[in-house]
Amino acid sequence: MAGIYVHVPFCKSKCRYCDFTSFPDKLGFAESYMTCVYREMLMRKEELSGYTFDTLYIGGGTPSVIDESYIAMLVAAARKYFNLAKDAEITIEMNPGTVSADKIKLYKKCGINRFSVGLQTAIDSQLRELGRCHNLNQFVDCAKLLKGENFNADVMIGLKGQTLDDIDKTIQVAAAFGASHISMYALTPEDGTPIYTDYLNGELPDGDEVADMYEFGVKKLAELGFKRYEVSNFCKEGKESRHNLNYWRRGEYIGFGVSASSHINNVRFTNTFDLDEYFKCILSGCLPVIDRQEIDLPARKEESIMLALRTAEGLDIGKFNAEYSADFFKDYAPALEKNASALQTVGGRLRIKDEYLYVQNTIICDFLS
Amino acid sequence: MKKPNRLIRNFCIIAHIDHGKSTLADRLIEMTGQVSKRDMEEQLLDSMDIERERGITIKLTPVRMFYDADDGNEYIFNLIDTPGHVDFTYEVSRSLAACEGAILIVDASQGIEAQTLANVYLALENNLEILPVINKIDLPSARPDEAKKEIEDVIGLDASYAPLVSAKEGINIKEVLEAAVKYFPAPDGDEDAPLKALIFDSYYDNYKGVILFVRLKDGKVAVGDKITTFRADKVYEVTEVGVFAPSLLPKNGLYAGEVGYIAASIKSIQDVAVGDTVINAEDRAAEPLPGYKKVQPVVFCGIYPLDGSRFNDLKDALLKLQLNDASLVFEPDTSQALGFGFRCGFLGLLHMEIMQERLEREFNLDIITTAPSVSYRVIKTDGESLFVDNPSHLPPVSEIDYMEEPIVHADIYSPPDYLGQIMDLCREKRGVFEQMTYLDANRVKLEYKLPLNEIIFDFFDQIKSRTRGYASFDYELIGYERSKLVKLDILLNGEVCDALSMIVHEDSAYTRGRTLCENLKDAIPRQLFEIPVQAAIGGKIIARETVKAMRKDVLAKCYGGDITRKKKLLEKQKEGKKRMRTIGSVEVPSEVFMQILKTNKD
Repeated sequence: MAGIYVHVPFCKSKCRYCDFTSFPDKLGFAESYMTCVYREMLMRKEELSGYTFDTLYIGGGTPSVIDESYIAMLVAAARKYFNLAKDAEITIEMNPGTVSADKIKLYKKCGINRFSVGLQTAIDSQLRELGRCHNLNQFVDCAKLLKGENFNADVMIGLKGQTLDDIDKTIQVAAAFGASHISMYALTPEDGTPIYTDYLNGELPDGDEVADMYEFGVKKLAELGFKRYEVSNFCKEGKESRHNLNYWRRGEYIGFGVSASSHINNVRFTNTFDLDEYFKCILSGCLPVIDRQEIDLPARKEESIMLALRTAEGLDIGKFNAEYSADFFKDYAPALEKNASALQTVGGRLRIKDEYLYVQNTIICDFLS
Repeated sequence: MKKPNRLIRNFCIIAHIDHGKSTLADRLIEMTGQVSKRDMEEQLLDSMDIERERGITIKLTPVRMFYDADDGNEYIFNLIDTPGHVDFTYEVSRSLAACEGAILIVDASQGIEAQTLANVYLALENNLEILPVINKIDLPSARPDEAKKEIEDVIGLDASYAPLVSAKEGINIKEVLEAAVKYFPAPDGDEDAPLKALIFDSYYDNYKGVILFVRLKDGKVAVGDKITTFRADKVYEVTEVGVFAPSLLPKNGLYAGEVGYIAASIKSIQDVAVGDTVINAEDRAAEPLPGYKKVQPVVFCGIYPLDGSRFNDLKDALLKLQLNDASLVFEPDTSQALGFGFRCGFLGLLHMEIMQERLEREFNLDIITTAPSVSYRVIKTDGESLFVDNPSHLPPVSEIDYMEEPIVHADIYSPPDYLGQIMDLCREKRGVFEQMTYLDANRVKLEYKLPLNEIIFDFFDQIKSRTRGYASFDYELIGYERSKLVKLDILLNGEVCDALSMIVHEDSAYTRGRTLCENLKDAIPRQLFEIPVQAAIGGKIIARETVKAMRKDVLAKCYGGDITRKKKLLEKQKEGKKRMRTIGSVEVPSEVFMQILKTNKD
């Protein structure tokens, strides 16, 4: 398994909680930027000729704000430069209010077969509070355009003034309008974002309240047939995001565009976060990598555990032992014993029990050296 | 008989904390040109980081100066700085034994403080000549005449010749130097007699071995001499002697009356005790110099390495600290909760805190300290009596006939306005009122009998906060009294945590237990499961709190680029966990053992 990620750092406006690399005021650079991305792909062509890629993920930012022709060219470039599997999962992120029937038609035509829509909440006042540039009706319009498609809806909990009813309504709307996958995240007030002020002023729900929301959400989603396959990700049977599963299985991926990161051949590296810097590098024929880290054996093991324990499938012990010449149950006996009540082994896989999935950090920490 | 150099003056400075001792010392050093002003760091003598940060002197530090006096002679001054806090009386007595004179600094606006008085009496007992100096005369609130009068009334010293100075502004510093020449006697002794040198301090140098700080009373010592001490049997060859400039400055020899250091490749810290007398191995003096009273520690606590494998490092560190602070005592101890460590005795709470800080800073050790305790006398039903300073060593209740606790006599000095508050506090702390004396219109001395275990926690802080810092306090141990004492146990998740046990008075056991549970509930982080925190006396539960189970401890989104960053977050969390001790199945932060007792809720 290997994946391709492309970062499109443009947005209509910046959400109050956003700390991703996105530029709400630089849409005019879209053409130059995408041209650079194609070039960056070309620069990696030789190096990655031995890989077959099973997924392509176009994330952002809001990839749907730029002209759909750039997206079509991007998918074409990926196919041209790399071995993109015939049945590859190709996802694009989009925000309600930035799409039209024509746009989606072209997306589908060029091979995109999975969509990820930023719903966040079905309550308009909360959408405004988050600084989202759409309302519930626009989500409904967007969902109607995606009727019959495989699409995800992002849902947030832990919002200012949010009630369990609000969460119920949000999940119901997403399900009713055809989402086959729902990602449910707690709002994380990052330092430096406008919403951090709300956090400092104690206006956001506390950890226990968020935990209540999460548990409620998990229950509602289950009732609607959404199975939890990762702590924040839920889907109908067989609709897991293959691209994301690859991350949690410590798979390889190559990232293109500003701030994109990659994991190839046990090296993790990240592109520059600075748009000008990115342009300069690509135009002068250099790769825009700013941070490169070789992952040694102990770190690989830790990553494998840390990532796998986020998922419902858990850690494949046999594979772990084979890959790292390890004796898992012996090597991690203290951590296993200490957390015995929160762990279970099912079919050769170690997983965190459902009721402890939301307090996984403290358990995972015991497996780190 | 050859008299020592008449042009030597050995003296120390006695002052209350913050009355300007270190600043005056700096000025004296500066005036005598020993250290150029350019090279001078503020508060030269307080060389430890902790001393500079807290603005207090802990260790005595000697320095030698040359002074061209008005009489045309060049004098050698040996100044031995002394700590001001009551806990360090032991250090003071050591420096006094090496001097003939003492400068008594009195703050021109605050007058004499209780702790200063104690040291003045100590100096008088040692037959030291005392030179009062009125400091901080530059302050608008200065009342130098009242300060002088107070010196005459309270101590009975003639203060008419006391120099009026401002150490901070450098005013009248020369007068102090002249007065030292005039009023302090030159050392006596006999340069031709066999060597007798009092060890008043020492420390370990990685290259030179133990460095002895000495005051020569008789005789002389030079490189190549064979020396020993009265208590040691080993003979050492002197490799270096010298004086304090204030850093070590080698010289050819040291003579009677002088203050200096001796290095003799002494490798073992235990071989030389502070207070012992250095003698010439080939020309032995018959009698040792009087040492000083060995002080008894009054406050005890357990010290354990956070990382159990560093037990030996902790042991080495304690040995090295003991070398220049003989008042520190310790013995190995084990705790079910904390593993191998040491039970340590200190002269007081500040002394304990300073030692803990030095262990962490100077030796880079992460340590866990348990709640401070005092030493109780237990009389068993079979008539045997024993001292117990570690609650977990208390015999079973059935074997105890009765217990006694140490009692102190406390002098509290305060302006009359705060008498009510002080008396309330002493009542809360089981104090027995003894006497009240008006020293003058603005100053009252209250005398109380108090159990030591009531004052080792927060008594000093309470006195200060209830009197807005005006009152001061001094105490001395006067003996043991029978008392109704019980052992209070703390159970975490149903298991007794021996490191949290304490001995308390029966009447306060219930309140203590409840406060302790509340404090622990806040201090112990939430974990995967619910943790009952209980207080018990002899198996009977008297208080309970619950640390709720953790609900949310998860990293949001964890995709491509995030993986490295998220792993760093987990590693940071892991670091935090490392600073905790697992007791039974509960992770307890190491600060808890000490901290919970200091923040008593009212």
